[in-house]
Amino acid sequence: MSLLQVQNLKVHFPVQHGVFGRAHAFVKAVDDVSFAVEANETVGLVGESGCGKTTLGRACLRLLEPTSGRIDFEGEEITGLNGAKLRLLRRKFQMVFQDPCGSLDPRMTIEQIIGEALDIHKLADNAGARQRRIEGLLQAAGLNAGHAPRYPHEFSGGQRQRIGIARALAVEPELIVCDEPVSALDVSVQAQIINLLQDLQHERGMAYLFIAHDLAVVEHIARRVLVMYLGKVVEIGEAKAVVRSPRHPYTQALISAVPVVDPDAKRPRIILPGDVPSPINPPGGCPFHPRCPIAETRCRTEVPLLREAAPGHWAACHLAR
Amino acid sequence: MPLLEIKDLTLEFRTDSGTVRAVEGLSLAIDAGETVCLVGESGCGKSATALSIARLLPSPPANYLSGEVFLNGRDVLRMSKAELRAIRGGVVSYVFQEPGASLNPVFRVGSQIKESLKLHRPETATNDEVIRLLKLVGIPAPESRRRDYPHQMSGGMLQRIMIAMAIASHPKLLIADEPTTALDVTIQAQIIELLRELKQRLDMSILLITHNIGIVSDIADRVFVMYAGQIVESAPAIEMLKRPLHPYTQALMASVPKLGAGAQRLTAIPGAVPNPSALPGGCRFHPRCFKAQSDCSVSAPELREAESNRLVRCPYWNSNPKSEIRNPKSPSEPAPSSKP
Repeated sequence: MSLLQVQNLKVHFPVQHGVFGRAHAFVKAVDDVSFAVEANETVGLVGESGCGKTTLGRACLRLLEPTSGRIDFEGEEITGLNGAKLRLLRRKFQMVFQDPCGSLDPRMTIEQIIGEALDIHKLADNAGARQRRIEGLLQAAGLNAGHAPRYPHEFSGGQRQRIGIARALAVEPELIVCDEPVSALDVSVQAQIINLLQDLQHERGMAYLFIAHDLAVVEHIARRVLVMYLGKVVEIGEAKAVVRSPRHPYTQALISAVPVVDPDAKRPRIILPGDVPSPINPPGGCPFHPRCPIAETRCRTEVPLLREAAPGHWAACHLAR
Repeated sequence: MPLLEIKDLTLEFRTDSGTVRAVEGLSLAIDAGETVCLVGESGCGKSATALSIARLLPSPPANYLSGEVFLNGRDVLRMSKAELRAIRGGVVSYVFQEPGASLNPVFRVGSQIKESLKLHRPETATNDEVIRLLKLVGIPAPESRRRDYPHQMSGGMLQRIMIAMAIASHPKLLIADEPTTALDVTIQAQIIELLRELKQRLDMSILLITHNIGIVSDIADRVFVMYAGQIVESAPAIEMLKRPLHPYTQALMASVPKLGAGAQRLTAIPGAVPNPSALPGGCRFHPRCFKAQSDCSVSAPELREAESNRLVRCPYWNSNPKSEIRNPKSPSEPAPSSKP
């Protein structure tokens, strides 16, 4: 049984027009996505802006209402849950956000921010236990007890992200969705946060759904990777296999576009023409065909399904081998 | 004579909580036709340096304490307003990080490019020239896209428009301040390729400001690495990437996740970039340095020639490290400074 099992998930946002707000089109932010996250595993989710990766992450936690599809958490369907039942379950999955500044209330001290999670789920019996718990969480996130009475603006970007992580850890979740947790940070600090997330997983054994646009970062932390393009998963596989032998032409281009520090390790570069098309009016057939360097006639009409190109390595491309 | 020569530039900002020294003793030169990268993390003073080249920083709060900025042999810091107006856009043009914020939302992109032409090459301010420029920067269907408003274009296209505006005046120096930071990797690759192509075609120099050391190998001839307002290393790009000499450059390069390296642990730099209003004494990097010696906290090192054509601000660059690049399990950061 997987920790998180997502089946045929769709999240469509209506584009409204006029006085009565009738939907005349839909943004298909997530379109028919299925995947699973096992306990104590890190799954990476990669894609460019607007591909639906954040929407998918939020929908998995019921922070957004899916249009259709089914989400199971520890074998229990959570798509229909509401109210108290959902709140009880929320303890088991948490989120770490991209903007460490925007996701912390500027008028609350760090103690209040972390303590709020403990209070809501009644995880501390008395004031002493609550304080000990907060101190323990701060230490786990690489901060110290002296930081508890301070406000978010007194911290650097990296430290704020540590606070966000401590808050997520407060309820001892089994799954943390990390939505671009390092993309707002400087490289030297980015490495600290990635190492921290790995250490915490080692100690506490939770699973991560790690969303990022940087494939190199994802490869470092994730065991398996999902590559998304225009709301669809175009490739799934072991991180190593996806990076070393990508099957989908989009993944190939994405990998070749990552800047390389080592001048000796230059790869041939595939420069994709054009931009990501609008998800309101995605191209017919394969959504990637207008930018694809190897597209054929049938790519314009037939939607490719995920096919197993190698054991455990799936790609949604007619021409993938 | 180099096209741009900055000599010993020191720049302060007056703020409510005292003065902040953003740039100290910075020297940098760019020859005609050269591409130079200025690399550093946020707050290291790289943008302040770039903006000083056409004196775009309002003073106050900016206050130039010392130094000269020679552009084409003339000191920008001592120019009159009329002279400044002629070089801004004329000799040196800028491309900024957020193309959406740099364009006027209520004018069509074509007319904004034409405005740049009217100012600097009035005889060519025609729609034909606008279309030619749009073609040059790779905008598809330029005849119709010139009538678009900025909100109708994607981030990558807007950055192309910004580049078209910048090159409209045939500048000698194009300063690109984090031109790809707001863009996706595949679009970033397009823009870097475009800059490289334009440099060849238009015979200009480029100063590229970036925090992404990976871009350096794609485009730069020479690199300057900045940390906390100072240049800590300068070298030909390939040489620096193959063998960085300053401990900061080494640590910075080690902390970049490498594609294809597998699930190997990243080497982080402990601590955080220091607050420019409370810089550490001695070498500014010493609290985070894996090579730091006891006197690093006392004496501030000079930028010295380490090898031919290579400058390093570290007396111990050639010594063996006391420890390998450290990789603490839970790196401790210095306590946050309380702001008033």
